[in-house]
Order: sequence, then C-alpha cells, then structure tokens
Amino acid sequence: MIQFFQDLGATSLFFVRVVRTFFATQGNFQPILGQVAFVSLRSLSTVLFAGLFVGAILVLQLDLILAKYDAELFLGGLNTSTVIREVGPLIISFLLAGKIGAFTAAELGTMRVTEQIDAIECLGTNPIQYLVVPRLFGIMISSLILLFIGLLVSIGGAMAVAWFACGITIPEFTSSIPKFVSIGTFVAALFKALVYGTIVATVSCHRGFIATGGARGVGHAVTQASIFTNLYILFANFGLSHMLTLIDTLTEGLMGGSP
Amino acid sequence: MSIRFEQVSKSFGTKHVLKQVSFKVERGEILFILGRSGMGKSVTLKHIIGLLKPDSGGVFIDGQNVSQLDDIQLAKVRQKCGMVFQHPALLDSLTVFENIAFGLRTAQYIQLIGHPLSEDDIRRRVCEKLADVNLKTEILDCLPSDLSYGMQKRVSLARTLAPEPEYLLFDEPTTGLDPITTNAINDLIHDLSRKLQVTSLVVSHDMACALKIADRVLVLDQGKILAHADRSTLKLSEEPLIQDFLAETLALIPPAELDVASIGATAP
Repeated sequence: MIQFFQDLGATSLFFVRVVRTFFATQGNFQPILGQVAFVSLRSLSTVLFAGLFVGAILVLQLDLILAKYDAELFLGGLNTSTVIREVGPLIISFLLAGKIGAFTAAELGTMRVTEQIDAIECLGTNPIQYLVVPRLFGIMISSLILLFIGLLVSIGGAMAVAWFACGITIPEFTSSIPKFVSIGTFVAALFKALVYGTIVATVSCHRGFIATGGARGVGHAVTQASIFTNLYILFANFGLSHMLTLIDTLTEGLMGGSP
Repeated sequence: MSIRFEQVSKSFGTKHVLKQVSFKVERGEILFILGRSGMGKSVTLKHIIGLLKPDSGGVFIDGQNVSQLDDIQLAKVRQKCGMVFQHPALLDSLTVFENIAFGLRTAQYIQLIGHPLSEDDIRRRVCEKLADVNLKTEILDCLPSDLSYGMQKRVSLARTLAPEPEYLLFDEPTTGLDPITTNAINDLIHDLSRKLQVTSLVVSHDMACALKIADRVLVLDQGKILAHADRSTLKLSEEPLIQDFLAETLALIPPAELDVASIGATAP
C-alpha cells in the first residue's frame, strides 16, 4: 500500500516536472502537433472498430431490458447518454493505454536502458522537453480527438443496429436523446477523456523514463505502465463520476430554483 | 582546467560502488580507469557529467562542484564535456547525419559559440568528424539500425567530437570493435589529447590500450583506488589484480607493442 502511494507520488511529481518544462521552454508546438498526428492516426482504426461495436452491443443489451417495460422509445437517449458519460471515455482510455501507452513506455524505456536519454542530456538538450513534453501533451490532446470520433461512430453504429435489429427508426432513436443528454454531458465526457488521457500519458512516459536493467527492465516498465494506468483510470472514474453527478445535481437544483 | 574527485562515495541500496575516491585529471592528459566489470568505472564517469550525484564528497570541473550546480549551470559545464557511452546510444529515429549534427543544433551550443552554425558549416563539420572515425559520407542518410555495431560506435564517437568539447569521457570506447578500428580510436584519443590539448578520461578493462596511450592509469577495485600510477610504474606494481591484467595483456600482444617508447609511432 505504501509502495502504491509512493508510485502515485512519483508519477504526480513527474507530471509537474513535465508541465513546468513545457511552460519554461519554447518551440514545443511543432513536436506536440507531430505527436498528436502520430497518436491519432495510429489509434484511429482501433477506435473506429471499438466505437462501432460498443455502440452496437450496448443498444442490443439496452433494448432487451427496455422491451420488458415497453420503454424502447428511450433507447436512443439511454444508449447515447451511457456511451457519452461512461463507456466512451473509458473504452478510449483503455485502448490508448494498450496501444499508445505500452508503445511509449517501451520506446522511452529502450532509450533509457541503451543510454540514448543520457546521451541527449549530455549533448545539451533537456530530455524531458525533447522526448516527454511532445508525447505527454500529444497523447492528452489525441484522447479528446479520439473520444469525439469514437462517440460519433458509436452513436452512428447504435442507430444502425437499433434500426435493423430492434425496429427503432432514426427519428425515434434521436427523439429521446435531448431528454438524457445535454451540453453538460459532452463537457463531462471531454473532461473525463482529458483526465484519463493525462493518466495514460503520464504513467507510460514516467515508467519508460525511469526504466532500468536492460530488456527485462523495459518489459517490467511496460507491464507496470499497463497495470498502473488501468488502476488509476478506474480510481479516477469512480471519483469523477461522483464529482460530476454532484455538480449535475447542484446545477439542476440551481436551475430549478431560479425564476 | 581540470577534473577533480574529492572523497567521492556512492552507494546503490546496500551496494557501495565508490568509497571515498579522490583523483585529479590535468588538462591535455589521458587518464585510463581500469578495473573489472561492476567496480564503479562507469559510475565514476557519470558523476563527472552530472548524470549521478555523489552521496558524499565532490566532483569538480574547472573548480565548479558539479553536484551543486543548478540546471542552467550544469548544462554549461556539460557543454565542455563530451561523453562516449558504453552503448552507441544513437537516436534510432534520426539518420547518421542528424545524430552527429544533434549537438551542433542545441540552444546550449548556439549560446556557447554565440551564433547558430549554417547548414553548410554543420555538414562540413559532420563530414570531418565522420572522416576522423574512418567512416565514409555514404552512410550519412542511413538510420543507425542499418549500420553494424562497430559502425554505430564510431558514429557515436563522431557525434561526441562534433561540438569539439574540452573534456572527453569514454566509457569502454573500443568494446565490440575490430582490432584495426580499436587502434584507430586509440590513436584518435591520443591525437586529440596531444594536438588539441583535449583532456580524456577513458574507462576500460583493456590494459593493452592503457599501456599504449594513457598518461596515467587508475585501477579501481571494490569501490577504492587500488593503484594510481603512470604506465611504466604500473607495470612494476605487485598488486595481484594488476598482475592478472598485465599477464592477460602480455599473453595477447607482443612485448614490442607495449614498449612505452613506441607510443609516438602508433599515433598517425
């Protein structure tokens, strides 16, 4: 348990160090943009497939339950709300952790154990600025882009399956969406994706950056990055869901109380 | 203009790698640090360039205590030093040209010389350093993965030489190289020291190289300095470890090669 909090503390300090380096140095825009393109394009196909099937599976499951209560008209709203609030940000972050997080931890870990990072430092370049800032901010920004694409595909897929498999037309599907989804829902989803993306980026960069002990050390770094990313995301999801629900309730209360 | 270790101790967990190590390297000198694997040779080098900090004691470069410098001061001190790592440590995603030019494009280097180098100047410098390590310009556009290990090590050396540092730190510079390239690298270290007054600190377990080009040899064992002597005195040492090293060396190369008087002839 103590080890867990030590790891969490070290990862948090690493994040602060990277953010400070970002603000203290210049010329970061171009490399970050390059990483955004790299991460987004590399993850696009996976996100498209996952988004499509998550939407489709969810609509089938929800239709089974709603049909029992003759409430199929709420299928569109319920499905869209679930995808935006919870499933979308979570699935995207787990995919990012598996594909980009592992890749980043392995890449930086290999650079560390083969002394490439030391060499960069000795040649007068800050390795945090040169290697970590672009990757960390690139993954964070990409998580938002990928979430947006994933949600569109997921809702599109759900609409198609609802029409073909459940007999719910597109107007019927979309008519219930405003009852369950507001601008606040989108903002909450984007916030969640940003937090999860930050976790993926920070943990994988940190684990790679501090790797030691040759090929075995790199393997260990990748495994640790994967485990800790998923754990932190689940904890963050629990906390954020509580916090956002509370904000939602307070906002509704205030709106209801106003004339 | 010197590198000075003062009572430096360093431990990793329960393992004491350096125990109150003190020595000094003067300008233009070639100091070899010899010792068995895992005896703290590479750790010694990493202290000089600030990649590791001592638990106690101090490492001084030109009178500045490296472990007490802030990031900006440390970057300035590092600019004076060039380090050749045990691994080639070339950046995988960059070509040979980009790797060698890397140090010439950093903000630190531009600040040091007062202006950025033109692309023509960079190309000229890269080709010059590549020639110094016996490589041809045909490989400039290759990625490190396209090269053999020996070639990668030579490119790594060229990259270190490109910003023309005052101090050169070599961590096993000739490991994995063929005998001809090993000789060429040794001659290069010797040459840089004699002609340009570059100070060189070479970590190695190659006694033959040490006896050929070192001004002084320091033998590290169990975290302590076992011997600190010039080449000729070292050969007279009765320490069992040094005798073992010498015995291995004498078995491999003819005595004439070890003659101190022949050193000048080995340099081009």
